[in-house]
Amino acid sequence: MNDLSNAINVLSSGMRSQGRRLVHIAENISNADTPGYRRKTVDFQAMVDGGRRSGAVEVGPVRLDRSDLPRIHDPDHPMADEGGYYDGSNVQLVVELADAREAQRSYEANLKMFEQVRRMSSQLMDVLRR
Amino acid sequence: MDLQPILAGMGGMPAPSTKTNPMADAAQGFADVLREAEMQAEAALTTGADPHALVTAMAEGKMAIETVVSIRDRVVEAYQEILRMPV
Repeated sequence: MNDLSNAINVLSSGMRSQGRRLVHIAENISNADTPGYRRKTVDFQAMVDGGRRSGAVEVGPVRLDRSDLPRIHDPDHPMADEGGYYDGSNVQLVVELADAREAQRSYEANLKMFEQVRRMSSQLMDVLRR
Repeated sequence: MDLQPILAGMGGMPAPSTKTNPMADAAQGFADVLREAEMQAEAALTTGADPHALVTAMAEGKMAIETVVSIRDRVVEAYQEILRMPV
Protein backbone atom coordinates (compact mmCIF):
# COMPACT_ATOMS: atom_id res chain seq x y z
CA MET A 1 0.00 0.00 0.00
CA ASN A 2 1.02 3.59 -0.23
CA ASP A 3 2.88 5.67 2.34
CA LEU A 4 -0.19 7.39 3.73
CA SER A 5 -1.95 4.18 4.55
CA ASN A 6 1.28 2.77 6.03
CA ALA A 7 1.38 5.85 8.26
CA ILE A 8 -2.19 5.15 9.34
CA ASN A 9 -1.26 1.58 10.26
CA VAL A 10 1.77 2.70 12.27
CA LEU A 11 -0.26 5.34 14.12
CA SER A 12 -2.97 2.83 14.84
CA SER A 13 -0.37 0.49 16.39
CA GLY A 14 0.82 3.38 18.56
CA MET A 15 -2.69 4.04 19.80
CA ARG A 16 -3.29 0.36 20.45
CA SER A 17 -0.07 0.16 22.47
CA GLN A 18 -0.99 3.18 24.56
CA GLY A 19 -4.35 1.56 25.21
CA ARG A 20 -2.62 -1.61 26.37
CA ARG A 21 -0.40 0.46 28.64
CA LEU A 22 -3.48 2.12 30.11
CA VAL A 23 -4.94 -1.31 30.91
CA HIS A 24 -1.94 -2.11 33.13
CA ILE A 25 -2.08 1.30 34.77
CA ALA A 26 -5.75 0.67 35.52
CA GLU A 27 -4.86 -2.71 37.02
CA ASN A 28 -2.24 -1.06 39.21
CA ILE A 29 -4.61 1.63 40.44
CA SER A 30 -7.37 -0.89 41.12
CA ASN A 31 -4.97 -3.04 43.13
CA ALA A 32 -3.32 -0.19 45.00
CA ASP A 33 -4.68 -1.58 48.28
CA THR A 34 -4.24 -5.27 47.48
CA PRO A 35 -1.78 -6.87 49.92
CA GLY A 36 1.29 -8.29 48.22
CA TYR A 37 0.44 -6.80 44.79
CA ARG A 38 3.43 -5.79 42.67
CA ARG A 39 2.99 -2.99 40.18
CA LYS A 40 2.95 -4.06 36.52
CA THR A 41 4.85 -2.20 33.84
CA VAL A 42 5.17 -2.77 30.10
CA ASP A 43 7.93 -1.74 27.72
CA PHE A 44 7.35 -0.62 24.16
CA GLN A 45 9.30 -2.29 21.38
CA ALA A 46 9.52 -1.98 17.63
CA MET A 47 7.28 -4.48 15.89
CA VAL A 48 9.17 -6.99 13.75
CA ASP A 49 7.35 -8.21 10.66
CA GLY A 50 9.02 -11.00 8.70
CA GLY A 51 12.45 -10.32 10.23
CA ARG A 52 12.28 -6.59 9.44
CA ARG A 53 11.14 -3.72 11.59
CA SER A 54 7.85 -2.54 10.18
CA GLY A 55 7.98 0.83 11.92
CA ALA A 56 5.00 -0.02 14.07
CA VAL A 57 5.16 -0.36 17.84
CA GLU A 58 3.87 -3.00 20.20
CA VAL A 59 4.05 -3.60 23.92
CA GLY A 60 6.49 -6.16 25.24
CA PRO A 61 5.86 -8.70 27.99
CA VAL A 62 4.50 -7.51 31.33
CA ARG A 63 7.17 -6.93 33.98
CA LEU A 64 6.59 -6.77 37.70
CA ASP A 65 8.11 -4.01 39.77
CA ARG A 66 10.65 -5.79 42.01
CA SER A 67 10.97 -3.00 44.55
CA ASP A 68 10.29 -3.83 48.20
CA LEU A 69 6.69 -4.06 49.34
CA PRO A 70 5.88 -1.63 52.14
CA ARG A 71 5.30 -3.15 55.59
CA ILE A 72 1.98 -1.90 56.87
CA HIS A 73 1.15 -2.01 60.56
CA ASP A 74 -2.41 -3.23 61.16
CA PRO A 75 -2.79 -5.93 63.82
CA ASP A 76 -6.47 -6.41 62.95
CA HIS A 77 -5.72 -7.36 59.35
CA PRO A 78 -6.29 -11.08 58.65
CA MET A 79 -2.92 -11.35 56.89
CA ALA A 80 -0.95 -9.63 59.64
CA ASP A 81 1.98 -11.57 61.14
CA GLU A 82 2.93 -11.80 64.84
CA GLY A 83 4.29 -8.26 64.84
CA GLY A 84 1.04 -6.91 63.40
CA TYR A 85 2.56 -6.15 59.98
CA TYR A 86 1.55 -7.27 56.49
CA ASP A 87 2.94 -6.62 53.00
CA GLY A 88 1.13 -3.86 51.15
CA SER A 89 1.39 -3.18 47.41
CA ASN A 90 4.20 -1.16 45.89
CA VAL A 91 1.82 0.88 43.73
CA GLN A 92 2.24 4.62 44.10
CA LEU A 93 -0.87 6.40 42.96
CA VAL A 94 0.97 9.57 41.96
CA VAL A 95 3.30 7.61 39.69
CA GLU A 96 0.37 5.75 38.13
CA LEU A 97 -1.55 8.96 37.53
CA ALA A 98 1.49 10.53 35.90
CA ASP A 99 1.88 7.43 33.72
CA ALA A 100 -1.77 7.55 32.76
CA ARG A 101 -1.49 11.19 31.80
CA GLU A 102 1.59 10.42 29.72
CA ALA A 103 -0.26 7.62 27.95
CA GLN A 104 -3.11 10.03 27.23
CA ARG A 105 -0.77 12.64 25.78
CA SER A 106 0.98 10.08 23.58
CA TYR A 107 -2.40 8.82 22.42
CA GLU A 108 -3.41 12.35 21.53
CA ALA A 109 -0.17 12.85 19.61
CA ASN A 110 -0.89 9.73 17.57
CA LEU A 111 -4.45 10.88 17.00
CA LYS A 112 -3.32 14.31 15.80
CA MET A 113 -0.96 12.67 13.32
CA PHE A 114 -3.81 10.41 12.23
CA GLU A 115 -5.94 13.47 11.49
CA GLN A 116 -3.06 15.06 9.65
CA VAL A 117 -2.53 12.05 7.42
CA ARG A 118 -6.23 12.00 6.58
CA ARG A 119 -6.24 15.69 5.81
CA MET A 120 -3.17 15.33 3.59
CA SER A 121 -4.79 12.50 1.70
CA SER A 122 -8.01 14.39 1.05
CA GLN A 123 -6.08 17.53 0.08
CA LEU A 124 -4.22 15.47 -2.49
CA MET A 125 -7.53 14.28 -3.91
CA ASP A 126 -8.84 17.86 -3.96
CA VAL A 127 -6.11 18.65 -6.47
CA LEU A 128 -7.63 16.08 -8.80
CA ARG A 129 -11.09 17.60 -8.45
CA ARG A 130 -10.09 21.06 -9.65
CA MET B 1 -20.40 -3.50 -2.50
CA ASP B 2 -18.66 -4.61 -5.64
CA LEU B 3 -17.57 -1.74 -7.83
CA GLN B 4 -15.15 -3.85 -9.76
CA PRO B 5 -17.33 -4.44 -12.86
CA ILE B 6 -18.23 -0.75 -12.95
CA LEU B 7 -14.60 0.31 -12.75
CA ALA B 8 -13.58 -2.26 -15.30
CA GLY B 9 -16.33 -1.06 -17.62
CA MET B 10 -15.39 2.55 -17.00
CA GLY B 11 -11.99 2.08 -18.50
CA GLY B 12 -13.50 0.39 -21.53
CA MET B 13 -11.67 -2.75 -20.49
CA PRO B 14 -13.03 -6.27 -20.63
CA ALA B 15 -14.18 -7.94 -17.41
CA PRO B 16 -11.23 -8.46 -15.03
CA SER B 17 -10.50 -12.00 -16.08
CA THR B 18 -7.02 -11.01 -17.21
CA LYS B 19 -4.81 -10.76 -14.15
CA THR B 20 -2.26 -8.56 -15.88
CA ASN B 21 -4.75 -5.73 -16.39
CA PRO B 22 -3.54 -2.86 -14.16
CA MET B 23 -7.00 -1.28 -14.07
CA ALA B 24 -8.53 -4.52 -12.89
CA ASP B 25 -5.77 -4.91 -10.27
CA ALA B 26 -6.43 -1.40 -8.96
CA ALA B 27 -10.15 -2.12 -8.81
CA GLN B 28 -9.44 -5.38 -7.02
CA GLY B 29 -7.29 -3.56 -4.47
CA PHE B 30 -10.03 -1.01 -3.94
CA ALA B 31 -12.63 -3.74 -3.46
CA ASP B 32 -10.33 -5.46 -0.96
CA VAL B 33 -9.93 -2.27 1.07
CA LEU B 34 -13.69 -1.79 1.18
CA ARG B 35 -14.30 -5.41 2.11
CA GLU B 36 -11.78 -5.11 4.95
CA ALA B 37 -13.54 -1.97 6.21
CA GLU B 38 -16.89 -3.71 6.10
CA MET B 39 -15.55 -6.78 7.90
CA GLN B 40 -13.99 -4.65 10.63
CA ALA B 41 -17.18 -2.63 11.07
CA GLU B 42 -19.18 -5.80 11.41
CA ALA B 43 -16.71 -7.34 13.85
CA ALA B 44 -16.60 -4.18 15.96
CA LEU B 45 -20.39 -4.01 16.17
CA THR B 46 -21.08 -7.69 16.79
CA THR B 47 -18.09 -9.02 18.74
CA GLY B 48 -16.63 -5.80 20.15
CA ALA B 49 -13.34 -6.18 18.28
CA ASP B 50 -10.48 -3.69 18.51
CA PRO B 51 -11.85 -0.21 17.69
CA HIS B 52 -8.43 0.89 16.44
CA ALA B 53 -8.60 -1.68 13.67
CA LEU B 54 -12.07 -0.39 12.80
CA VAL B 55 -10.93 3.23 12.63
CA THR B 56 -7.89 2.27 10.56
CA ALA B 57 -9.95 0.25 8.12
CA MET B 58 -12.58 2.98 7.82
CA ALA B 59 -9.95 5.66 7.25
CA GLU B 60 -8.32 3.56 4.56
CA GLY B 61 -11.71 2.91 3.02
CA LYS B 62 -12.49 6.61 3.00
CA MET B 63 -9.14 7.39 1.36
CA ALA B 64 -9.76 4.72 -1.27
CA ILE B 65 -13.29 5.95 -1.98
CA GLU B 66 -12.14 9.54 -2.30
CA THR B 67 -9.48 8.46 -4.78
CA VAL B 68 -11.89 6.39 -6.85
CA VAL B 69 -14.62 9.04 -6.80
CA SER B 70 -12.16 11.70 -7.93
CA ILE B 71 -10.96 9.53 -10.78
CA ARG B 72 -14.54 8.65 -11.76
CA ASP B 73 -15.53 12.33 -11.80
CA ARG B 74 -12.57 13.09 -14.00
CA VAL B 75 -13.45 10.31 -16.40
CA VAL B 76 -17.10 11.37 -16.63
CA GLU B 77 -16.04 14.97 -17.14
CA ALA B 78 -13.75 13.99 -19.98
CA TYR B 79 -16.52 11.94 -21.55
CA GLN B 80 -18.90 14.88 -21.41
CA GLU B 81 -16.27 17.13 -22.96
CA ILE B 82 -16.10 14.75 -25.88
CA LEU B 83 -19.91 14.65 -26.18
CA ARG B 84 -20.06 18.43 -26.33
CA MET B 85 -17.52 18.54 -29.11
CA PRO B 86 -19.09 20.02 -32.28
CA VAL B 87 -18.82 17.55 -35.10
